[in-house]
Amino acid sequence: MKRALVLAGLSLLALIVQASAGRVLAPQWCPDLGLLVVVGFGLSLRSPATGVGLAALVGYLSDLLSGSLVGQHMLLRMAAFAAARVGSRRLNLRGPVPLAIFAAALSAAHGLALWALVSFFASGSAPPWPPVGDFFAQAVVNGLLAPLVAAGVAWVCQALGDEEAARLMRLEPRKFPA
Amino acid sequence: MADLRVRMRLPLLVVGLVAVATVSMVVDRRALRGGPRDLPPWAGPILDAAVPIQKAITFPIDFVRHSWGRYGDLVGIAEENALLHERLHALEEENLQLREALVASGRLARIAEMRADFEVPMLPAQLVGSDVSAFFRSVLVDRGRAHGIRSGMPVISEEGIVGLVTATSNRASRATLLLDRQTAIDGTVQRSRTRGIVRGRGTDLVEFEFVARGGDVEVGDVVITSGLDGVYPKGLRVGIVTAVSEAGAELLRTATLVPAVDFGRLEQAFVILRRGPSMELLYRTEGGDAEAETASAGASGR
Repeated sequence: MKRALVLAGLSLLALIVQASAGRVLAPQWCPDLGLLVVVGFGLSLRSPATGVGLAALVGYLSDLLSGSLVGQHMLLRMAAFAAARVGSRRLNLRGPVPLAIFAAALSAAHGLALWALVSFFASGSAPPWPPVGDFFAQAVVNGLLAPLVAAGVAWVCQALGDEEAARLMRLEPRKFPA
Repeated sequence: MADLRVRMRLPLLVVGLVAVATVSMVVDRRALRGGPRDLPPWAGPILDAAVPIQKAITFPIDFVRHSWGRYGDLVGIAEENALLHERLHALEEENLQLREALVASGRLARIAEMRADFEVPMLPAQLVGSDVSAFFRSVLVDRGRAHGIRSGMPVISEEGIVGLVTATSNRASRATLLLDRQTAIDGTVQRSRTRGIVRGRGTDLVEFEFVARGGDVEVGDVVITSGLDGVYPKGLRVGIVTAVSEAGAELLRTATLVPAVDFGRLEQAFVILRRGPSMELLYRTEGGDAEAETASAGASGR
């Protein structure tokens, strides 16, 4: 419980920092820290239930700090957590490059899914399609920052007593019995 | 049985959270359509807590930006000063001529009487944070319900339209900007009175959609609010036309506008403490918006 609360608090802080950074950086160059933190949860947290709950909370906080409908980011952050969880089991995300590529692809998919959700709930005609350049720019920024944020999340999880976090992130080699 | 319960815990949690998210979206959509949309009691404190932290984070950023901006302003200030003096003289002369014309037509006294009715109570608010999603364009401001702000109130600056308050907590509000994809404003070209709809595109430019037949829109035209959408008062600057689509066989043509407000440098805005319809904003009607009136009285007394 204590671990979940600390992680929730740190996630809120990450979102606030992101919102403040948005006043200086153009939106497409501003990293989506909420998404990256959730990816970090997917890679590091041992308990999937805690991870899903935290992802939903990060999504809800994102909805509050964004112009979206309440629930849109919540749904997408849970999907991002599931993708990161499955990705960490099925793909070799060891090392910064594969993780950066995975985060960039996930960021682009997240943008598309958000547009689809907004269009579905739009009262009149669908909102304009976002410029491809913006999608690409944010995917690159998110990809570049993903290894750093994921390592940070793993470090916090480990510091809070999740011994498996470092192993899941491959920060430590697995210890086999002699 | 216990094993089944443990095994079903995760799927049940996921289904429950997905259901909560879906229901929230539907409920929020309905609330937005219905007008006022205040955040639930448990969500408000989160927004309230975010404001001081964001202020603390943005303070050094704003300080550096201000200092650099002041230095930039000093460069070439003498030339600009001379230019402004020249313009001031020209405008004073024009003003005098217009006053003379009004006195001659006997309308000045009537306009002076009406002025009190046109004055709309406004509250200055500081922008403390932007949207956490690149898809949406909204800002967090440091004034909320306690200061008289309600959802649906327009936000403006001295340059023109900024956006609309879409969510409020006790001490903070979220305003959706003119640039947001979900924004639509009824606008008029100041020169030709051609009417159309201004829509955000999620970029730094906005679109002005107007009927092709008889639509007289040219590059350089200023688009202002028409007041007919029942949200924004009439006559506020929206933007300047930078491009107009070719007149083809289509019913609607589109012009691209540069917003009158420089959103990149915007730090302070004013919330108009009255909700639409526009006629109520500009002309006090019987009954009026008692709630907003009380709030504005409270805010001005602060």
